Amino acid sequence: MSSCKSFREELARQLVRVGEKSDRVVVITADVGLSTRAYAFGERFRDRYFNVGIAEQHMIGFAAGLALVGAIPIATGFAEFILRGWEQIRNSVARMNLNVKIVATHAGYSGYADGASHQALEDIALMRVLPNMTVVVPADVADLKRCFEKLVLEHMGPTYIRLGRDYAPPVTEETDYEYKIGKAFVLRDGHDIAVVGAGVVLHEALTAAKELEKHGVSTCVVNLLNIKPIDIDTVVAVAKKTGRVVVVEEHMVYGGIGSAVAEVLVQRCPVPMRLLGATTFGRSAKSQQELLSYFGLDSKAIVKTALEVISDERR
Amino acid sequence: MVKGDAKPILNIRELTKIEQLISLVEEARKNLLEMHQHDKHIHIDSSLTSLEVIATLQLLKRTSVNPVDRDWLILSKGHAAPALYAVLAGLGVIPKAELARINSIDSVLQNHPEVGAPGVDVATGSLAQGLSIGIGIAAWIKSVGGSGKVFVVMGDGELDEGQVWEAITHAAALKLDNLVVVVDWNGYQHDGSVKEVKPKDFMPLVWRAIGWKVLWANGHDVVSLMIALESALNSESPVVIFAETEKKREVPGDANHYAE
Repeated sequence: MSSCKSFREELARQLVRVGEKSDRVVVITADVGLSTRAYAFGERFRDRYFNVGIAEQHMIGFAAGLALVGAIPIATGFAEFILRGWEQIRNSVARMNLNVKIVATHAGYSGYADGASHQALEDIALMRVLPNMTVVVPADVADLKRCFEKLVLEHMGPTYIRLGRDYAPPVTEETDYEYKIGKAFVLRDGHDIAVVGAGVVLHEALTAAKELEKHGVSTCVVNLLNIKPIDIDTVVAVAKKTGRVVVVEEHMVYGGIGSAVAEVLVQRCPVPMRLLGATTFGRSAKSQQELLSYFGLDSKAIVKTALEVISDERR
Repeated sequence: MVKGDAKPILNIRELTKIEQLISLVEEARKNLLEMHQHDKHIHIDSSLTSLEVIATLQLLKRTSVNPVDRDWLILSKGHAAPALYAVLAGLGVIPKAELARINSIDSVLQNHPEVGAPGVDVATGSLAQGLSIGIGIAAWIKSVGGSGKVFVVMGDGELDEGQVWEAITHAAALKLDNLVVVVDWNGYQHDGSVKEVKPKDFMPLVWRAIGWKVLWANGHDVVSLMIALESALNSESPVVIFAETEKKREVPGDANHYAE
């Protein structure tokens, strides 16, 4: 597998690319253009790049206004601080079903050094609760490349794209699929247990699947990059096939991806489930991987949980 | 600064417009009071104080199929929606019969504006958000060389919102000469008088210091409003008109006014 690439460096490339394809694309930053790499778009398209200052609430409303007159605004920022504008996202964007794209970087533990104040672990819950909102969490750089242009130039409507900062270990690079809104992708087939997740934790899930093989457990791994709309068919199919589901997310267990999967399965195909995610605020550390381990979201934790689900049933 | 108390010398066309405007306001006032008879939940005080402002802007508003060549009217103080509906009914945009059905389960007329209603440009209801939306619209119109103007109606209490600061500093930085904000300076906010809750006499000075052109008008006098707007539409910076209005708080049939 190739080496780890960076979410925000790829974002810079993708922003320029969609900017080249449509002169209606506008990129907005709340004075973190250097950190999100949105400035790359500004260097190329000076007239279509707006720095609103450190003003996230206004940024969202400003984007709504741009969308009303036919632009395709992409509001960018740190996931945590975009949440300052959540009520604006609800009332100024989602209520009118406006074509505003929100690209949130530094999500989860990816701002590892900055600690709890900067680590967004609530954003998926807060975005997926909104009517009209599409929520997408690319697993790696390859996933981002697959979905970005489609979400910006083809899809109409409010869209939340959740990205990390730099750490982007390969997850889907060797998998071949075409991105489609509302579709989940099986990264690895298996029949004893399904591990469902989104984002960088899927790298941990794939490592765990290999480890589980040594224990004689055949593990299916599902990339649920479309959190909303969720792929009910795939989620139900893997639950039916394996009979056990573990969800892993770099997000609070409350209201996030685990909840979304549980909402489906409890109604369509109830099976034993475990939800792995954060239960409290983050903290500063030396790397994102260190935080994933510290908060029990690494491959070891996934293996342990998977084996527990299986042994609980046998008891 | 424009003081609009003196009657200007107007040409025939303007005079016609003013006569039309005066009769529109009177009809809209009747419509509004009638709506209030049907539903006491409408924000009647705030609607009455904004009535002349909304009628004037609605009449001045130019239409075009091109979104960047038309004018936009945004009620950032969304609770004045009934005043807009009353005006739109006066202009025949909304059927008059619909007014009595405001807030009914199957009516398009919501207590705060939704874009589903005819003549409503932007959905609002959460304070300060209409202003940021207006700035986004004005910025893109300017970027692509459109001729549209953006009018935003705000309340004085609304100026408490932090988002207003975020927005007005940005509009000034962008030098949006196609943006006009009218503040309904009625002296009351939700829980009481502005004086009691949070005085903001300094507000016009703040807007001016940031880079806005600041004008005053009598918000109940359409001539005064027209003069201020004429000046506003020939500005090189964004313009705010503080429109002084009066909350009478003596609405017929509204003796038991209660907070929502």
